[in-house]
Amino acid sequence: MFSNYLKTAWRSIVRNKAFSFINITGLSVGIAASLLLFIVVQYEMSYDTFQPNYDRIYRVVTQDKFDKDITTNSGIPVPALKALRVELPNIQFGALRSIYGSQITVPSANNGAGNKFIEESGIFYLEPQLFEVFTYHWLAGGPSALKDPNHVVLDERTAGKYFGSWQQAIGKTITLDNFIPLKVSGILQNVPANSNLPLRVLVSFATLQQYGEAYGHYDSWNNTSSNFNIFALLPPGMKAADMNRALLQFSKTHYEPLRGNSIKTNFLQPLAEMHFDRRFESFADHVTSRSTLVTLLLIGVFIILMACVNFINLSTALAVNRSKEMGIRKVLGSNRMQLFKQVMSETTGIVCIAVIVALCIAYLVLPYIKHIASIEEPLSLFTPTTMGMVGGIGAVVILLAGLYPSFVMSKFNPITALKNRMVSASVHGVSLRRGLVVMQFTISQILVIATAVAVSQMNFISKADLGFQKESVLIMNVSADSASLSKEDAFKRQLLQIPGVQSVSFSTDEPSSENMWTTNFAYDHQPDEKYQLALKYADADYLKTFGLQLVAGRPIQPSDTLREGIINETLVRKLGVKNPHEVIGKTIKLGNGKWYPIVGVVKDFKTHSLRDDIKPLFISTQKDFYTRLAIKLRTSQMMATRAAIEKSWNQFYPDYAFAPSFFEEQIARFYRQEEQLSLLYKIFAGLAIFISCLGLYGLVSFMVVQKTKEVGIRKVLGASITSLLQLFSKEFTVLIIVAFFIAVPVAWYMMHNWLNNFVYRVPLNAWFFITAITGSILIAWITVGYKAIKAAVANPVKALRSE
Amino acid sequence: MIKIRDLEKIYRTEEVETVALNKISIDVKEGEFVAIMGPSGCGKSTLLNILGLLDDPDNGSFLFNNIEVAHFNERKRAELRKHNIGFVFQSFNLIDELTVFENVELPLIYTGVKSGERKKRVEEVLDKMQIMHRRNHYPQQLSGGQQQRVAVARAVVNNPKLILADEPTGNLDSSNGNEVMSLLTDLNEQGTTIIMVTHSEHDARYSHRIIRMLDGQTVLENIMV
Ligand SMILES: Nc1ncnc2c1ncn2[C@@H]1O[C@H](COP(=O)(O)OP(=O)(O)O)[C@@H](O)[C@H]1O
Ligand SMILES: [Mg+2]
Repeated sequence: MFSNYLKTAWRSIVRNKAFSFINITGLSVGIAASLLLFIVVQYEMSYDTFQPNYDRIYRVVTQDKFDKDITTNSGIPVPALKALRVELPNIQFGALRSIYGSQITVPSANNGAGNKFIEESGIFYLEPQLFEVFTYHWLAGGPSALKDPNHVVLDERTAGKYFGSWQQAIGKTITLDNFIPLKVSGILQNVPANSNLPLRVLVSFATLQQYGEAYGHYDSWNNTSSNFNIFALLPPGMKAADMNRALLQFSKTHYEPLRGNSIKTNFLQPLAEMHFDRRFESFADHVTSRSTLVTLLLIGVFIILMACVNFINLSTALAVNRSKEMGIRKVLGSNRMQLFKQVMSETTGIVCIAVIVALCIAYLVLPYIKHIASIEEPLSLFTPTTMGMVGGIGAVVILLAGLYPSFVMSKFNPITALKNRMVSASVHGVSLRRGLVVMQFTISQILVIATAVAVSQMNFISKADLGFQKESVLIMNVSADSASLSKEDAFKRQLLQIPGVQSVSFSTDEPSSENMWTTNFAYDHQPDEKYQLALKYADADYLKTFGLQLVAGRPIQPSDTLREGIINETLVRKLGVKNPHEVIGKTIKLGNGKWYPIVGVVKDFKTHSLRDDIKPLFISTQKDFYTRLAIKLRTSQMMATRAAIEKSWNQFYPDYAFAPSFFEEQIARFYRQEEQLSLLYKIFAGLAIFISCLGLYGLVSFMVVQKTKEVGIRKVLGASITSLLQLFSKEFTVLIIVAFFIAVPVAWYMMHNWLNNFVYRVPLNAWFFITAITGSILIAWITVGYKAIKAAVANPVKALRSE
Repeated sequence: MIKIRDLEKIYRTEEVETVALNKISIDVKEGEFVAIMGPSGCGKSTLLNILGLLDDPDNGSFLFNNIEVAHFNERKRAELRKHNIGFVFQSFNLIDELTVFENVELPLIYTGVKSGERKKRVEEVLDKMQIMHRRNHYPQQLSGGQQQRVAVARAVVNNPKLILADEPTGNLDSSNGNEVMSLLTDLNEQGTTIIMVTHSEHDARYSHRIIRMLDGQTVLENIMV
């Protein structure tokens, strides 16, 4: 019996070549696309799940409740570590401090100065106790390697990069930032890429006792740095809520006495949330919001649904032609179940072919996945998880696509089926087919609208007036140690000698940055304001280098220390002052410091990404805070200028690697995830349109066959070609318009929410929607047109004779 | 073998009600060869479909081998049908995707005959119908007469007790038609009951008895000598 099913299945696939081709193409593209999306989602969900104590690991984070808003910080004051261990002795704590932009110097036989490395993913000062919270595998040494100061543990890859192989690394000494010698005392097996803790270079935490100041590690309850993190392993059975209650008490005890303008509390962030909670930082290169993952998942499901819809539509349409076969089989004694099984096995055959093709497509496309997702490591298609997904998708598609057509075909009344080839209208499922076409076009129009909105927002971002000049500014880290500081002025003078250099400025950070340095403050001898003030320290050339404009007063005088400052328009407004000239000469007090005069007001520029508001800002000089160098270049001969800058750098800072980047690129990096999402929308909107057109083409081809005789008669009676084209396109046009009205509210809601991520955004106007509907109708007409025209111009005599 | 009493079949569409069978009563004994004649639209095919358990009547009684089957559900009808009844149609109704051999084999598959036995029986019957040399051809590659011979082969391969033929010669020229008629006669002589709808007085002469219908009722029965 089964071989008989297979035989008819195969022959029917071959016989209906065009339809099989459309079905297999649609299904395989759909399956491949959604498989890739599911792989991405699965990968993002897998962060740190390899940790055996995944469910019991938490990070102790901090929040400050101000009058109006709440700010969060992934860090905690340094003394909290000791206090927690004393007050909550049954819980295992481990701490780390991350540092970025630091340089490792590795001694080298053929390079006297040593090889210099800057680890993009950061360097960690790490307590040995952290290994009781997290589990990692050691190739050499163990947690105790990090007990004493001046020891370092490398992962296998980094050890290889520094010394050729990890075996050779052990016992060697490397130098951190040219002043901290570190002995390599242990080797860690490479940490999987799907981890929030990219542990590569681990310096013993005890080293901070001597060098803490240089890395902002202050043993003070007043200072919370997001770089200092405490992790906790709860004992089995303990609930996070219990611990949070204890932390509330802990916060009262320690923060209330030094209460500033906020209420500070510590609480737990589960490790399982670390990769998804955008309020906090993770050490991985990105945090993914759950809503993005849900979007990906939905798009994946939608694409599969659309491919299934094609299948259902074409098979039920084709069922008309197969009614005769089904009728005969019934007359000969086949029961419904057998016919049902037969049609299901045909579906299974087609889906199996589609799955194989899909795997080939996915295999070819997988290496490009990093453009739509932040997955740097090469993924393999042939893992048990992915194969499980493939099986799952295949099974779901077989059921979704196969059940209804099998049901319809096995239900045929044999008499009606045999009497005549049925007219399509009498076959069940015409309204269902219309419904499914509407669904397809709803999905593709939603994606088209989403694409249009995302693309224009990304355009808006790249063209937005940020209030400063981001073009041709080279930026790099500089060390703030005393030797480097003393050379800064001379270095700057020499840079300005280079013809291609227009301006040079040292600062804490660029105008738009991820810097969150804020303080409480008071204005004009009044009590503290109820909000925080953002701080930037920069030399007198900062305004010139970034093209910032003053609206009142004058620039800051050159100085090595804090003497006077300028503020931005936002702060003027928040202070309730109408005319910016009024604040000139007034004073400002940062934290509990002295009163300093305001000498200028800078025109508002975007202090952070376009996701955030412009923050009230204070800019002043303070040389020993400067860790960034910005060089504005003239646009001609930039390569030569860069080479000249590198030469000067090596002359002044031979111990530091020259690793500049362009400010523009750094700003673009703010929006990497949005860029990815926008590209993803583009690709999947394209796929959705492709799949729905494929289905449409199939349906029209079928209609043409059905209507050959009708078209012939109409022509004989004098119908025009246009009226015949209408015969084919009218129904689809109506369906697309219906779909449009369903798509509009969904897309509006979705993209309205997405745009709300940005404080600065494009308006969600009618054009996006008009584009989608005209685009869809045009594409549908083109799809339908080809077949329809062929049918309309055919010789009617031939059409009539064929009956 | 067949005993129907006051059988009614009414087709209802949105606009009209068609009484296809109007309280018709017929008996057919085992081994008989009955022809049904009448103008187009008088209900012949409807009657044949009900006799063949493809359709159910709205009213009346239908005893098949003394079992009341008028209200059997589809599954039971299919079961009874595949073991007892063979069909021959005017338009042959062969499956285009299957070869001659495979078409004839189908009823055996559905009644669960083992593959070796199937092969033997299909070859036997193809031999008898003199169509063995075309066993691997597809229906479109055959002439009308050959196609109908395959259809007859398929109808008899299961050795049904009853063969229902709806205008079996309607699409055939006279020589092919005669050939099919003599096949049916042979089968009847070997004991198979045959009920045949026909428009041709010539073909009807092969039968033992002619039932003439008009507007869903029997109007006349001629016994042939
Ligand atoms: N499925 C149907 N729906 C409605 N009317 C039908 C249907 N099948 C047959 N009829 C009507 O029932 C009557 C008998 O049809 P049928 O048995 O096919 O006649 P015959 O085979 O004698 O030509 C005709 O009037 C026909 O139009
Ligand atoms: Mg008829």
